[in-house]
Amino acid sequence: MALLEEPIKGIKEVKNYINGEWVDSKGKIVDVVNPATGKVMGKCPISTKEEINAAVEAAKEAFPDWRRTTPLARSRCLFRLKELLEENFEEISRIQTMEHGKCIDESRGETRRGIENVEVACGIPTLMQGYYSEDIASGIDEWVIPTPMGVFGIIGPFNFPFMIPLWSAPYAVATGNCIVIKPSSEVPFSQMKLAELAEEAGFPPGVWNVVNGGRTVVDGMLEHKDIVGITFVGSTPIGKDVIYKRCGETGKRVIAQCGAKNFMVIMPDCNIKATVPALMTSFFGNAGQRCLAGANLLIVGEDEKFYNSFMEEVTNMSSRIRMGYGMDESIQMGPVRDKEKRDNIMGYIEIGIKEGAKLRLDGRKPKVEGGYPDTCFVGPTIFENVTTDMKIGNDEIFGPVMSVFRAKTLDEAIRICNASPFGNGHAIFTQNGRSARDFQYNVVSGNVGINIGIVAPVAFFPFSGMKDSFFGVLHTQGQEAVRFFTESKVIIQRWF
Amino acid sequence: MGIQTCSGAISLSRDLESEATKFYQTLAQTFEKEKELFLAFAKENEKYTKQIERAYYGVITDAIEGCFAFDLDPEDYRFKNTLVKDAGYAEAVAEALMMEETLLKFYRVAAEQSKHLMADVPRAFLSVAKKRSERLSKLKSLLEK
Repeated sequence: MALLEEPIKGIKEVKNYINGEWVDSKGKIVDVVNPATGKVMGKCPISTKEEINAAVEAAKEAFPDWRRTTPLARSRCLFRLKELLEENFEEISRIQTMEHGKCIDESRGETRRGIENVEVACGIPTLMQGYYSEDIASGIDEWVIPTPMGVFGIIGPFNFPFMIPLWSAPYAVATGNCIVIKPSSEVPFSQMKLAELAEEAGFPPGVWNVVNGGRTVVDGMLEHKDIVGITFVGSTPIGKDVIYKRCGETGKRVIAQCGAKNFMVIMPDCNIKATVPALMTSFFGNAGQRCLAGANLLIVGEDEKFYNSFMEEVTNMSSRIRMGYGMDESIQMGPVRDKEKRDNIMGYIEIGIKEGAKLRLDGRKPKVEGGYPDTCFVGPTIFENVTTDMKIGNDEIFGPVMSVFRAKTLDEAIRICNASPFGNGHAIFTQNGRSARDFQYNVVSGNVGINIGIVAPVAFFPFSGMKDSFFGVLHTQGQEAVRFFTESKVIIQRWF
Repeated sequence: MGIQTCSGAISLSRDLESEATKFYQTLAQTFEKEKELFLAFAKENEKYTKQIERAYYGVITDAIEGCFAFDLDPEDYRFKNTLVKDAGYAEAVAEALMMEETLLKFYRVAAEQSKHLMADVPRAFLSVAKKRSERLSKLKSLLEK
């Protein structure tokens, strides 16, 4: 099929958005490469400590007035932003495909999910209402007011460049806070576009800031006394040992959504025709680069006939996946974000072979449609006979690699799931309500799927996570985000 | 080349409707006596495109099988507007009937293939299929006049 038109022509320079101004950074500039085509599409700054400090200062300055702006007026800005996002839906989606490599359907899905969070936050006049009790003692009334706190930092990952900052940003500003977003320097363009639209929507200078960069910006956020809280999505080592720990040391609120190794548990009574496509999306969608991706396929039962026919279906469909540039609408799987990530995945495939797993489908020499370089591509890969002591069955590979386990019973399957240090998005595929209920009750996982391969909560539910997949108390999205971005002020009143 | 993705299926639907629109516009210019009806069909086709796009853009999510939803061969549904300049009325309507049957088949197959996925999209396909089925009756009645 013909390629969709690219919205970014030539090489685009990324700027920081601070205090309502687009400003050049004094930091080092790095190339942003389209991972599918291998072409440089932009230049992104690695901003300095002074620049993150300037953004926090601007946000702090803007906070008193923004806080005093009525919730209705704040939500009007969000309504305008929502309209602008709809108008720019296709451009935003195509930017994501260019900067990240995901297919156009996946990018549009990401755009829709991001917008949904803006839509939910538009309800802030009721979402952030407090509550009141008359006569808690004779003649004394008491009430609670959720109040905004100040400046929040939002640290985005590379795998969902547009959507993930929107799990936090709309709620933070809707509740009256100001924000500084740090997108991943690998994928800065969709956040740049979002900030342009936020500016057009009428957020006052300083309320919405974007500072591009890396570790210096993150450290700057963590160290800054005027940042009251941080939301982070990324790996477990960084989320746990850097973000969560240092937020604790400096007294900041924190949501750290981290790594995963999700099990897709297959019962012999599952609807095979519907399950297999769901598994394709789960394991190979977004090239396996998501914290809700299926990583381990766990087939329950000792029925060899079922196992063989199910694996045949899975392998056949996996081997037919069309890989290439996501701007071609026929493409089902794009590249991983960069060569380093590809090499890491390739390394795990080698490890799997050495560990003795059976390589049923080898993705090391992918066929890339359209003649693009295979620098960042890894094909769907399937290992069978994986056991709990193998690295490929335990480590987060973050790529299109399926490790197949077996369990004799559902109880054994749940034990295997729960032995994982992660608890992000395990799922079961079955037509049996009792099995589904036992699974959802007993499995330790923040998000649980029943015949759903990507257990992604919609905007009005929290994006949960347990064990090493999440550090914090409250979660992003919906009511929990509103609570995270506000603190309770309790008033007790008596009149003499 | 087969189509597996939602995006591809929606584009195919858009292309088919666009071709059908052009075809009815040609008929409207050629056959004055049913000009209004053919122009109405052309306008409806544009509405169907919007209806399907709205359903798709409203529910598309990376969490559901957007890239693995379909198995369509576009060649099964493409029709060639072979109407010769001086074709007779009956011939033209017969060609319209053939085209509508092809489109009806496309929407029914697309709805069936996507029924486990995003409910709004197969619903939109079925809604258009129903309208097309009604249109077939109208076209058949033209031949009987």
